[in-house]
Amino acid sequence: MTAVTPTPTAQYLDLFARRGERSGEAAPVRLRRRQAIERFEAAGFPGRGDEEWRQTNIAPLLRSAVTEASREEVGARQARRFLYQGCDRLVFVNGRFAVELSSIPKEIAVSSLADLEATGGAADAVAEHLGATVDGRASCSADAVVHPFAALNTGLFEDGAAIVIPAGAAVERPLQVLWLSAPAAGAAADSLEVSFPRLLVVAGENSQASIIETFVAVNGAAGGYFVCPAAEFVCRAGSVLHHTRLQADASDAFHLGFQHTELERSAVFDSSSLTFGGGLVRNDAVALLDGEGAHCTLDGLYVVAGSQFVDNHMRVEHRQPHTTSHQLYKGVLDDRARSVFNGRIYVHKAAQKTDAKQTNRNLLLSRSALANSNPQLEIFADDVRCTHGSTIGRLDEDALFYLRARGLPREQAYGMLVYAFARELVEKTSFEPLRQDLEGRLRASLNGGPGGGEAA
Amino acid sequence: MLRVSGLHARVEEQEILRGVNLEVRAGEVHAVMGPNGSGKSTLAQVLAGREDYEVTAGSIELDGEDLQEMAPEERAHAGLFLAFQYPVEIPGVGNSYFLKAAVNATRKARGEQELDAMDFLQLLRQRAKLVDVDEALLRRPVNEGFSGGEKKRNEILQMAVLEPRLAVLDETDSGLDIDALKTVAAGVNALRNGDRAFVVITHYQRLLNYIVPDHVHVLQGGRIVRSGGSELAHELEEKGYAGLNGDSAGA
Repeated sequence: MTAVTPTPTAQYLDLFARRGERSGEAAPVRLRRRQAIERFEAAGFPGRGDEEWRQTNIAPLLRSAVTEASREEVGARQARRFLYQGCDRLVFVNGRFAVELSSIPKEIAVSSLADLEATGGAADAVAEHLGATVDGRASCSADAVVHPFAALNTGLFEDGAAIVIPAGAAVERPLQVLWLSAPAAGAAADSLEVSFPRLLVVAGENSQASIIETFVAVNGAAGGYFVCPAAEFVCRAGSVLHHTRLQADASDAFHLGFQHTELERSAVFDSSSLTFGGGLVRNDAVALLDGEGAHCTLDGLYVVAGSQFVDNHMRVEHRQPHTTSHQLYKGVLDDRARSVFNGRIYVHKAAQKTDAKQTNRNLLLSRSALANSNPQLEIFADDVRCTHGSTIGRLDEDALFYLRARGLPREQAYGMLVYAFARELVEKTSFEPLRQDLEGRLRASLNGGPGGGEAA
Repeated sequence: MLRVSGLHARVEEQEILRGVNLEVRAGEVHAVMGPNGSGKSTLAQVLAGREDYEVTAGSIELDGEDLQEMAPEERAHAGLFLAFQYPVEIPGVGNSYFLKAAVNATRKARGEQELDAMDFLQLLRQRAKLVDVDEALLRRPVNEGFSGGEKKRNEILQMAVLEPRLAVLDETDSGLDIDALKTVAAGVNALRNGDRAFVVITHYQRLLNYIVPDHVHVLQGGRIVRSGGSELAHELEEKGYAGLNGDSAGA
């Protein structure tokens, strides 16, 4: 007797086959799902020979058997720990909408993807956009690549949120989307529960809103799990959308996600990605500046230790004149943690007067930590301003001695300096509860413990 | 108060201090002068506990306690203050926040009650006034973008707030124009009292016109080669270090 172990690809195809057709799903979405899974099947998982995945070893993920995330119930009290005061909220447990934990703002149309009929108002946007961008034109025209995990998400997502901000609306309260992982207590140690959170946000013309995504696990989540999220942002002309993505999954979780943004004329997308959790983390973000005067900020912070690995892969495409983009990514790495920053700015021939700036700074707190930084510019227009730079350094010993000579104990001085390095990214938001949470997480994740530099 | 005996120190393989003896009593101001490379800054850094320097022989005592057993922060708690020759820029840390943390770390270490925000602010304002520091500096990150003069004044402000027993001023006069020099000297003079002592390290005699020392020592080749009263500084100004008997200048 020989047991046949299914290939990693076959496991996921099997998940697709077992789910079968979904009733009530719009025909275009159904089609895109099938196309996505076909593309995934044809391409398979990337190997180390694949340029975009050269530095990301996904072998540990592929070694694990996967099962659909269980249907765990999460109490209001457990969820509340992660919810901010002063927000509206959409709560998802293992990728499924938990309506009883959510509060939907009146001025926004929000639908649960699993039940478009019952929940309101975003069905047309789903039919038009969902999956149309992520797998279709999400790449520089010259080298279209299938993003395997985005394709997986499109093929396999069970639920998610579609959010439509009406034209002209200025939504005052931020909307928090809480993606809660709650693996079953008795799950097999060698298998991963996998969920595919899906988000679509359409910011109407001249609208203004703020979205906070939070990826966390319920307290005491044991065993590994795998979150494979995908998010699409469609920013109509003149819209302003703020986006914060906080990822604080369990330290042995797999988190491989994809984010795609399209901006029309004079639209602004200001996004921050903060990575504290996950064992193997890959964040891909693509932004297409597709209208004159559009601006996109993609900022990020990763604070990792132990054997965590985090790879931030970005591509910003300037397709029209007078578009601007800023990226500031900072990393703090301790123990044996490793990071990759891969930022690519692609300026099309038509995109004259592009202004693009990309910076990656890394602070290594241990001899065994390792940061890779690959900023890349590809410019086909001749009248542009593009700058990029990266640094990898250690804590400034002179500064440490200076603080200690003034009486600050070593640990406190250490924490203060690391906090000072990272603070601009956690203090960026004007939404106080979020800011406090991020500050707290940053301080807690620093070896020096609470020390840091509060506002001057 | 401070007793340095037979102090030898080296950095990497190079011996820089070769038997320094220095005794400072409460209320005194000592000037340590010497040419470049004589070991002046090394002496300051060794006193403050910089780990890059290895003490190979001799002892340093502050109020009878062995400083060599203490970490830099413990020396600060014991009342030692070093005004840095090159104050370090620390982006992202607010100047007044940093000072409050320093004051309270010291108070905590001494078993005293920490100052709350109001009490600290009051202390800070009063000291800023005493040493003539613009309050705008307090709101900026520590030394970041400060001019040379602002950095040195900021050192004096820190000293005024931390109220050390013994202050070591390492070339606080370097790079200062005459107005800034007078301001810094006035700040130091305002803090002089019978319980506090100063070691003023300088290359030039000029500062000593404004901070008049009780004792002047000449450091050369890692040793104190001459000691005297404040008139020694004037002699040096006239004759230069080369005019001294013994070791050649610029070692």
